[in-house]
Amino acid sequence: MPELPNPVDYAVPAFILLILVEMVWARRNAPEKYEPKDTLSSLSFGLGNSVVGLFAGGAIFASMLWVYQFRLATIPWTWWAWIACFVLDDLAYYWFHRTAHRVRWFWASHVNHHSSQHYNLSTALRQTWTGWLALSFIFRLPLMLVGFHPLMVAFCGGLNLIYQFWFHTEAIKRFPRWFEAVMNTPSHHRVHHATNPRYLDSNYAGVFIIWDRMFGSFVAEVDDEPIRYGIVKQLGTFNLLYSVFHEWIGIAKDVWNAPWKHKLSYMIREPGWSHDGSRDTSDTIKARWREREGLPVE
Amino acid sequence: MIWIDLAKLGASLIAIIGVAWLAGRMGLGGDLRIRDADHAKVLANEAIYGFEATEVALDRAGVGALLKDAQGNQMLLRRHGAAWVGRLLDPAMETRLDQGFLTISTGEPGAEKVTLNLGEAAQIWAAGMRRLVRA
Repeated sequence: MPELPNPVDYAVPAFILLILVEMVWARRNAPEKYEPKDTLSSLSFGLGNSVVGLFAGGAIFASMLWVYQFRLATIPWTWWAWIACFVLDDLAYYWFHRTAHRVRWFWASHVNHHSSQHYNLSTALRQTWTGWLALSFIFRLPLMLVGFHPLMVAFCGGLNLIYQFWFHTEAIKRFPRWFEAVMNTPSHHRVHHATNPRYLDSNYAGVFIIWDRMFGSFVAEVDDEPIRYGIVKQLGTFNLLYSVFHEWIGIAKDVWNAPWKHKLSYMIREPGWSHDGSRDTSDTIKARWREREGLPVE
Repeated sequence: MIWIDLAKLGASLIAIIGVAWLAGRMGLGGDLRIRDADHAKVLANEAIYGFEATEVALDRAGVGALLKDAQGNQMLLRRHGAAWVGRLLDPAMETRLDQGFLTISTGEPGAEKVTLNLGEAAQIWAAGMRRLVRA
């Protein structure tokens, strides 16, 4: 078993350098693409995520090792295993990500990544502090049960995260068609971060956009409609702690106030769901949009 | 090992503050303003999809607006950094009228009070918001 570093540690200097390059691009082309307070907030999210990782990472890795005891096979440390692990880890990420947008418990953690109204490389580092609380790592456990060593999975997860950094930008329009067909790109991921009704709940891919094409969640970027970024109800504050915990606070309030038979639903139903139907979900917003556009009901 | 982690965190913190400071020095963010009533209507519809404003009171500096739709819903549109945020007004929100200035507090954690310079329209909208409270 080889000793493996955390690849993200080595990528951080490149992250900072690329953010600086993009800031120069923004100054020349569109200064409103960056907002200093938003950038400070996003980068603070990233730092907090690293600090939390120092404490929670050990427990999560121990859980992965524990599950590895029950593996169906022992997959060797060979080149094909690395490729298979990377691809399957990306598939696991797709399902985690899709669930994180459709189940409020996981959304409470993942919303942190989406709560900026800007879409730039600093947004990529806007990572949650509460992924451990949401138990987001459980989506990777099947890989250990199949027989991939937890170290290999963790390393592939790090590479996956590094890949996801660079496409958080408006500075790149499109890549050649063959690349856009297979890989996740700035164009595909802009759609994912959009709040325009046509784009809600789409393009969950990490590295390979093929998962969205396979599972019916792919939406292509439309050139004649400017994208608006963030969340359906924008945060409206740069307060870091409130930004980190606001959805958890919302869940706690809703569960406290809801009738008993609806309490669980406020945790496991889609974001925006309410027992009296008084709030908007992405489905109701999309339905309203389709009606206004004269499109058939889905 | 803990010292290496602490050193990495310290370096990251310095880099973060440096990048944010540089973003400010470079003049990033811009100075967004609402151009006119039509622009406010577009922004309101983007903030809350389906909000079709029929009446608009625009802050004289263009940093915010109050809007009303045909159903009587009222929205506060305000600047937030280099973006816009919309909130439907509800009875829990505090308002204060001072001549042509209307100050609104949404009561949300972390959100500052917004003071709009609406001129003569301020009294009319303040009265409308009081009716909203009584409704």
